[in-house]
Amino acid sequence: MGIQMKTATKNPNTLLAFAGLTILLSVHALAGNVRIIANPNVKAEAISASEIRSVFLGERNVLRDGTHVEPVLSRGGAAHAVFLKEYLGQNDDALQNYYRSLVFTGKGSMPKVLHSDEEVVAYVAKTRGAIGYVSSAATLDGVKTLAVYQAGTEGARQLLSRVEPVYPELLQSNHIGGTVRLKVTVAASGKVEGVQLLGGNPILGEAAMAAVGKWVFAAGRSRTEIEVSIPFDPDR
Amino acid sequence: MCRRTVFLLSLCLCAARLSLRAQEFKLFDRQVQIHGFASQGFVHTDDNNWLTMNTSNVGSGEFTDFGANASMQITDKFRVGAQIYDRNLGQLGRWHPSLDWAFADCRFKPWFGLRGGKVKTAIGLYNDTQDLDFLHPFALLPQGVYPTDLRDSTIAHTGGDVYGSIPLGKKLGTLSYTGYAGQRQDSHYGGYPYLLKGPPALINFSSYGGLQYGGDLRWTTPLKGLLAGISRMNEDIDGYGTTTGFGVLQPYHEWSRADWTNQYYGQYTRDKLQIDSEYRRYWRDQVIYSGAFRAQTDVRGWYVAGAYRIAKRLQLGSYYSRYSLYGPPQNIGGIVSGHTYDKVVTGRVDLNRFMNVKVEGHFMDGYGVPIFYPSGFYLVDNPQGLKPDTNALVVKTGFNF
Repeated sequence: MGIQMKTATKNPNTLLAFAGLTILLSVHALAGNVRIIANPNVKAEAISASEIRSVFLGERNVLRDGTHVEPVLSRGGAAHAVFLKEYLGQNDDALQNYYRSLVFTGKGSMPKVLHSDEEVVAYVAKTRGAIGYVSSAATLDGVKTLAVYQAGTEGARQLLSRVEPVYPELLQSNHIGGTVRLKVTVAASGKVEGVQLLGGNPILGEAAMAAVGKWVFAAGRSRTEIEVSIPFDPDR
Repeated sequence: MCRRTVFLLSLCLCAARLSLRAQEFKLFDRQVQIHGFASQGFVHTDDNNWLTMNTSNVGSGEFTDFGANASMQITDKFRVGAQIYDRNLGQLGRWHPSLDWAFADCRFKPWFGLRGGKVKTAIGLYNDTQDLDFLHPFALLPQGVYPTDLRDSTIAHTGGDVYGSIPLGKKLGTLSYTGYAGQRQDSHYGGYPYLLKGPPALINFSSYGGLQYGGDLRWTTPLKGLLAGISRMNEDIDGYGTTTGFGVLQPYHEWSRADWTNQYYGQYTRDKLQIDSEYRRYWRDQVIYSGAFRAQTDVRGWYVAGAYRIAKRLQLGSYYSRYSLYGPPQNIGGIVSGHTYDKVVTGRVDLNRFMNVKVEGHFMDGYGVPIFYPSGFYLVDNPQGLKPDTNALVVKTGFNF
């Protein structure tokens, strides 16, 4: 999934001009409105989107690291519709029917259903293995937030904090632009360990590397390498 | 019977109000969930009596079912549960409760699990959920593929399943599989025994069932909302009983030489829209009358169904279902039409999350081959002979908790 970002320059008036600068970065930007939370006894620091789907569809109740988890639905909470659409790909009616079909054929149980972010946080905080979702504005007392990554794609890491590259004035005034490609090594903790220029104008590359080196990603299962493309458009 | 139905309905309504507080408790420090459902229908037809009910006069309310289950997660991987089910559909079911499913389930990995006991059989989109009225937009599932009078023949097996779900990556979706083997045992109150009990066969089965094995493979495609699948079932069936079809009481035995079902299906859901389509072919080659005759049955059915939720509480739907039986002589007026084609429109109103009411119209052409294999119409219920077309109004309400 590509994300849009604004690019800061020395001239604030050019901020909007760079609003369309696109970073072709494979990140899972779903969690912008929804946070995945878990009881502190859950060992994992991060969970893949496909694991979330499996857990909430009753296909698994143990994470890859061996932690037992129990899903908690937050019907009525602000995050419910977004969570269903983005992570489970269905609406509330369809999900309800899915659970009922499991329950009445003996193939699963009805998960715990709560009705607000506060209830979910309180339940998850006191219930071993509980995993739920709340809106990003919820107060998270006694629970841990799990970072979400996309399984199966190396480098698919959620970008938490970014610093925009500075467009060198000399190049911009001379209409010198282009796309810079970088290889970014992200530690499991989410910090950028290294940036390598793969292609593009070396001066633009320097500017991009300086910025990208300050980015912070969500924690992941392991160190990953991401390829990032940053276009510099002198006319925008 | 009417008083019994009213009583049951009242009980259901009371239970629906109490159920939300009654569905969970702890046993040996493990959570036990209790769930249940019930439905009550009314059917009126303009000409032929349908589904073993006396529908063509004022209509029939002998269209009731209910079920209740308990399940418990014993460990992370191990769970047990059981459900009872009872129905009274005209001459079928007759208020004889049965163990619908009862099994132990051990899911070792998301891609590998085992179930043992009496298990609902996975065939197509809805075989295992065909009794669960509240899951479906329609009061009656397409009878060309899910004939409700023949529910017993496919609904469950006593044996085991191996199952799992395998992610194929973001670009390829997920593959889910079920393989099963076990014993099928039909109720005495199903459509097939009912058909053969009448003339000219006059057979009373004391037991009917046998080996059932097969598999289901369904692919959740990377295209959001699109599912496709294929099912296969093989059977080896024996039926024992007596017959007076030749004027004297004598033992009866029939058995399979070949018996299989293939089903192909697809489903697309997007927001408020749901589209389903399935094709089923059922083939059997039987030896009947204790070896005196052979009979071959080739039933092919398919349907296309669509439903759309136009408001929070209102869903509209329609389907076209075709059922054809090949082999026996065709087009013997009043006895054999060889097919049933059914055009259906339905409206479902959800009164709340637990209760619904459905109103459905069926416009049917044909009545199958009611001297040979059931398709909803029976000569014993229509002694005057069958008319070529049947229109039906079905009203049904149900709840679950």
